[in-house]
Amino acid sequence: MSAKAAVVVFPGTNSEDETLQLLRDCGASADLVHWSRASDLARYDAYVLPGGFAYEDRVRAGAIPAHDPVMDYVIEGAQRGKLVMGICNGAQILLEAGLVPGTGPVRRPTAAFTHNAQRHFVCKHVYAKLAFEPSRSPITAALPPGALVPAWAAHGQGRLAAHDDELAAIRDGGHLAFVYAREDGSTESATPNGSALGCAGLVNREGNVLALMPHPERDGWNFNHLRRREGADVLAPSGGAALFASFAKALAR
Amino acid sequence: MSERAVAIGLKIPDNEAYTACAALRRLGVAVERVERSDVRFFDDGDDPGALRARIEADESIFNPNKHALVLLDEPAPRAGEVWIEELGARGPRCFVGWRLLDAAGQPVPRQDVVAAAERLLCNPAIETARFQQDRT
Repeated sequence: MSAKAAVVVFPGTNSEDETLQLLRDCGASADLVHWSRASDLARYDAYVLPGGFAYEDRVRAGAIPAHDPVMDYVIEGAQRGKLVMGICNGAQILLEAGLVPGTGPVRRPTAAFTHNAQRHFVCKHVYAKLAFEPSRSPITAALPPGALVPAWAAHGQGRLAAHDDELAAIRDGGHLAFVYAREDGSTESATPNGSALGCAGLVNREGNVLALMPHPERDGWNFNHLRRREGADVLAPSGGAALFASFAKALAR
Repeated sequence: MSERAVAIGLKIPDNEAYTACAALRRLGVAVERVERSDVRFFDDGDDPGALRARIEADESIFNPNKHALVLLDEPAPRAGEVWIEELGARGPRCFVGWRLLDAAGQPVPRQDVVAAAERLLCNPAIETARFQQDRT
């Protein structure tokens, strides 16, 4: 039987359909699994936490879902080497769950994607630039070095924040997976939210858990690409699909 | 001139506090009810009644249909309470107060408040937690 991913839906998740569809379009076998059926998660080989506002961001973005029974399965799976990818709110949840950067115990966060420097919601097309060798994580292994993944930053709380020693551990420990960039690949002052280290995404030490703040699935097809190719199939894959294709390839291994 | 801490909470059902309570109980914290408030600081001009009237007339922070206002005796958390402050936040000093109560409506012991902060209410990477004996 082929490996299968669960797209995890919490109350308040809002990006599950496009996340699921892009996974399938990229060749992955995947289902939606709602929080009320947490025990179903045990039989999946990978987990994707999509964007949204799980539990209305109560207490802090990602804090309540990080302690939901759903995450017992995700944490256990991650510790056994299953692939886990969180996007936007899913990324916030992974930080609150301590799975990334993974420098402390689980459910004892050492960093956060928190309020943007400008203190308001940002909706902006961005590029997430792969910041380490693709093979550092199985999820990025099929991307080219320095890959630029187009995506939409759509968050009020996407700024990486942590104490200085933790930021050093993130940088020196190879946890910085993606940084914000422009279309030409330049990164200086490219962050739309004041994120420390220019961070757009983090990975754990083992490389099997990836948290990415901007949404590649919102630039996954020609129809939602910033500069749509007129005349081309509206469902032709766009740049954001590359990360999902890499994930699908890792899942199939 | 004296600084007065003011807690503005909801008198209508507070879904966020209820969610926090349910999560804390699942995390093993012995709590029956959680109250949440925004804690702000004002100069009361040595006239607490005038301060209360001033706040209650300010619709930007107080809606009489849904908010309850408490003028605190001390500029510090009460028994059973933790104040969470965002590190590096700009603007006037402001905390989120979480008050944990037992089945009898009494404040829970300090160690339970500390446990609640450590397990859920405070992310130390971006927030600080102040407890009853800490001075602001």
